[in-house]
Amino acid sequence: MIPPRAPVSHQPLRQLKNRIATSLITAGGIGVLLAILAIGVFLIWETLPLLSLDETFALTKLSPLAWGTLKAALAAMLFALPIALGAAMYSALFMSARLRSRIKPALEMMEAIPGVVIGFIAGLVLAPWVERNLASTLMVLVWLPLSAGLAGVLWHLLSSRLRQALPLSWAGLWLVPWIAGMLLLALWFAPLLETLLPGGDLRQLLEQRWGLDYATRNALIVGIAMGFAVIPSIYALAEDALADVPDTLMEGAHALGASRWQALWKVALPAAGPGIFSAVMIGAGRAVGETMIVLMASGNTALLSASPFEGMRSMAAAIAIELPEASPGGLTYRYLILAALVLFVFTFLVNTLAEMVRLRMRRRYQKAGRH
Amino acid sequence: MLASLDSANASQAPVTHFAAEQRALSIEGFSLAYAGKPALRELTLSVPRHRVTAFIGPSGCGKSTLLRAINRLHDLNESVEHSGQIELEGQDIYAPKTNVTELRRRVGMVFQTPNPFPMSIYENVAFGLRLQHRLPKRQRDDIIEWALTSAALWDEVKDRLHRSAWQLSGGQQQRLVIARTLAVQPGVLLLDEPASALDPISTLKIEELIRNLKSQLTLILVTHNMQQAARVSDYTAFMHSGELVEYGTTDQVFTNPRLQRTENYITGRMT
Amino acid sequence: MPRRLTAAPQRLLDRLWPWLCAASVALSLLMLTALLSLLLVRGLGHFWPATLEEVTLRSGEVVAGEAIRETPLPQQAGDERLYFTGNRDVAGASWRWVPVDDIAQRTTPEDLVRLTRTPWGDFIGRLVSVESDGERLEGQPAWDYLTAALALPANQRPAGALLLATADGQTLRQPLTNISGATAPNAMAWWQKTHTWGERVWQFLSQGPRAANTRGGVWPAIFGTVLMVILMSVIVTPFGVLAAIYLNEIAHQNRLTRLVRIGVRNLAGVPSIVYGVFGLGVFVYGIGGSLDSWFFSDTLPSPTFGTGGLLWASLTLALLTLPVVIVATEEGLARIPDAQREGAVALGATRLEMLVRIVLPMAVPAMLTGVILAVARAAGEVAPLMLVGVAKLAPQMPVDGEFPYLHLERKFMHLGYHLFDTAFHGEDVQAAMPLVYATALLLVLIVLMLNLTAIFLRHYFRRQRGNEC
Repeated sequence: MIPPRAPVSHQPLRQLKNRIATSLITAGGIGVLLAILAIGVFLIWETLPLLSLDETFALTKLSPLAWGTLKAALAAMLFALPIALGAAMYSALFMSARLRSRIKPALEMMEAIPGVVIGFIAGLVLAPWVERNLASTLMVLVWLPLSAGLAGVLWHLLSSRLRQALPLSWAGLWLVPWIAGMLLLALWFAPLLETLLPGGDLRQLLEQRWGLDYATRNALIVGIAMGFAVIPSIYALAEDALADVPDTLMEGAHALGASRWQALWKVALPAAGPGIFSAVMIGAGRAVGETMIVLMASGNTALLSASPFEGMRSMAAAIAIELPEASPGGLTYRYLILAALVLFVFTFLVNTLAEMVRLRMRRRYQKAGRH
Repeated sequence: MLASLDSANASQAPVTHFAAEQRALSIEGFSLAYAGKPALRELTLSVPRHRVTAFIGPSGCGKSTLLRAINRLHDLNESVEHSGQIELEGQDIYAPKTNVTELRRRVGMVFQTPNPFPMSIYENVAFGLRLQHRLPKRQRDDIIEWALTSAALWDEVKDRLHRSAWQLSGGQQQRLVIARTLAVQPGVLLLDEPASALDPISTLKIEELIRNLKSQLTLILVTHNMQQAARVSDYTAFMHSGELVEYGTTDQVFTNPRLQRTENYITGRMT
Repeated sequence: MPRRLTAAPQRLLDRLWPWLCAASVALSLLMLTALLSLLLVRGLGHFWPATLEEVTLRSGEVVAGEAIRETPLPQQAGDERLYFTGNRDVAGASWRWVPVDDIAQRTTPEDLVRLTRTPWGDFIGRLVSVESDGERLEGQPAWDYLTAALALPANQRPAGALLLATADGQTLRQPLTNISGATAPNAMAWWQKTHTWGERVWQFLSQGPRAANTRGGVWPAIFGTVLMVILMSVIVTPFGVLAAIYLNEIAHQNRLTRLVRIGVRNLAGVPSIVYGVFGLGVFVYGIGGSLDSWFFSDTLPSPTFGTGGLLWASLTLALLTLPVVIVATEEGLARIPDAQREGAVALGATRLEMLVRIVLPMAVPAMLTGVILAVARAAGEVAPLMLVGVAKLAPQMPVDGEFPYLHLERKFMHLGYHLFDTAFHGEDVQAAMPLVYATALLLVLIVLMLNLTAIFLRHYFRRQRGNEC
């Protein structure tokens, strides 16, 4: 069979087009990448004039802000870490696959809730409520972990049929009403407990006995609100790291007679350690840079106080409040840009570290999987 | 004339060179290295026109690398260095003024796993055509029908030309890929283990297709399946560690190998 | 013996820690549900025509209003209840705390009405009569006349006046033109209430804010947010895709490329406020300032482009979301099997043809996902906007009938900032709270919808590809 003939094509034009497009993409791509990286250059350039000034001013100006930033981030991490890591361990090691495939998107949704909304709820709903019910709040913080343990103890006392109806692999879901119930219990019980205190009022006691002032918007509120915001990102990364630990490793440990607790500490955590570390780092990076939540829930008082019941002003919040008013090129302007530079360098370094640790771990498992 | 040459060579010295007018492709001292590691060493051989030449050898022996070198697919990878010459119909394909896209049109290539594009059957076959020419629809339809017929696929797909190519079976996909390549009318068709991912029946169809196609073009087949090489090829080259070990008519290589290494490989004593 | 001592606590720990972990998941879900339901109930509940109560106190005083909430009395036993009473012109305040124990009688008379007025806010009380064209209507005809008049467009309403009475008997006259809405919620059936609820939700979405953000709607903020996000996507999509194509398809895959890739990935973790600082310093003061001195020197010192505006906000957010788009697109490009690229190249396609005809069409879902994620992030982002162009109350919309129709230099309103500003800098935060809830709900819904779309798209295309390969 003879092929139908086709006319000769216009080759040079195609080659030319290709060459032009390739160089355009190259130029554009490099341009875009440079534009992104220009952020660092700009920040450094704008803060250079500060070098010629004396440093004490910088210290007095920036140290309360740095302190506030650290305090807010620390409070958030204190609240978020146990919950996020606990949730990650549970969903990687115990949760049923079906539940897991639904819970993960739900927590992804949690990550998407804008900071301004969380800040609003924290500053205008949570903060006044906690101010009125401080004892209940503290009670809840102590009681909830205890009640979770209580759930475990009670579960072991159940009949085996009931245990099958309420399996551990679905506990993430069916514990929700239990936790809610325990929460209400704590709220009902706390005021009774508070009357037992000398004076019958926790806040007065705090003020008289330890000299702790109570500000409506304080580190406690910021910790809870920002903790809520960083839980999902820590959870997602730590869960990935734990789920990446080959099942054979855990099975091997169990086969050697290790309990689940031992298997976790001796096998899963060391293996997933770098991944969990990078998850914590990225969470910390988010907590340090989050602006709206701190702005709305912290009171923005530039204090050097370690009390969890007092407010703070973070670098990000200071930038958001003061920079629009600062005259360009002025001293305040440059200091705020220095604060931005500090934030930029800090988060960039933390993220790079986390990313490298994560990549290295992934490579290790790929090798382990191959052999 | 070719037949007499074949019979003459069967008993004599190794066939590595054909008369210039019979060569579709000739390779002169060609070496290639990936990131400093040699993959092909000083290969010298030529491939006759309108015949099926099979390259066999253990995996990693460089047979696929050679195929990709003929199509200059290594151009996409910067860490590859090469020396020596490959001539297609007398032209050095690595000469600076060679038009690579035109070379690739003239040298079709079919890969191990079928890789139809995510478009309709018709568009898959039309893909190469649209690149080269702006044809009236009638003429294009004719070429597509011809290509699909040559690839023994026309009867199976003529009623669903505009369905997604990804709905075809693996064997049909591979024949579609061959049809797609035929549509741009190459002179040489490189087949890189074209049946290794297919079931036995599809494999037989592909083999039959290869035998039929040699009236139209020159075929070079890389395979690790010795029976396949014996069934479809006219000439066989045995490669090992990037070197050409033995090259001759398929009959001669399989029934009367000159070298012990070849015999060991063919009889399965060495893999 | 000592062995058992150490074994017992360890066994307890072994049994309990999975439950602590499970409780963490449960707690996270609980917090998420609590937050969303709080927003849903408060955000949507506000538009429901609330029952109006008439409360007679032990002192004989009569108060009419909507019950808001109860809290324990400070320093003594019992609760007090907060009422929204309106009538700021008559009573001087529109809120009233009433100790619950002081209440002698609580009724919900059907003739109580709630009027929305332009000065002084809501009126709660009774409609005595309507005077129009020398005619005087009382009772039901008066109410019918009022509702019929309010159904007309504002400029066609008859001139007239209402005679109103508060719960404690004071009367006042109001010109009909001041009134923009009237309901008698106690007399309404549930379907009428549903209808009113729908109308109010629509008003919230379609009107501008009134009375210092305590009334009206958020239309300009929705419009500003959407316009800014659209501009941002128009900027970020081509550049992000370009950079991703360069990184994945053209650049030499060496150590430098890997470093750049890690750098880009990490820029997604840099705080948004830092991008805001960059936007302010480079776009607003740098480029904007130069533009002003070159083209708009006649209006200086009042800046045109040298101050925050729509263009600079979009550019800043585009820069902020660029890493998101680049990363998503690159992932999509990396997932395309090399066999497809080689197949195209082996047919004689140039790199451009391979990219345009094979690679890019296959990467479209990934790009789309990236852009949607970028939009979701930008829609919820407020901090950088505070530096580069958002306004409390923009006097002019950024789009109007005046040439060049789209005013890139103007400030604009934004849902997130509107929420922040109303909640923290409003004059009467108490009165604005319901609208703040509604705004927060709207913002969360928009962002969640966008994220869900992205998750769904990613899931769908991944599965589709899985089936077909």
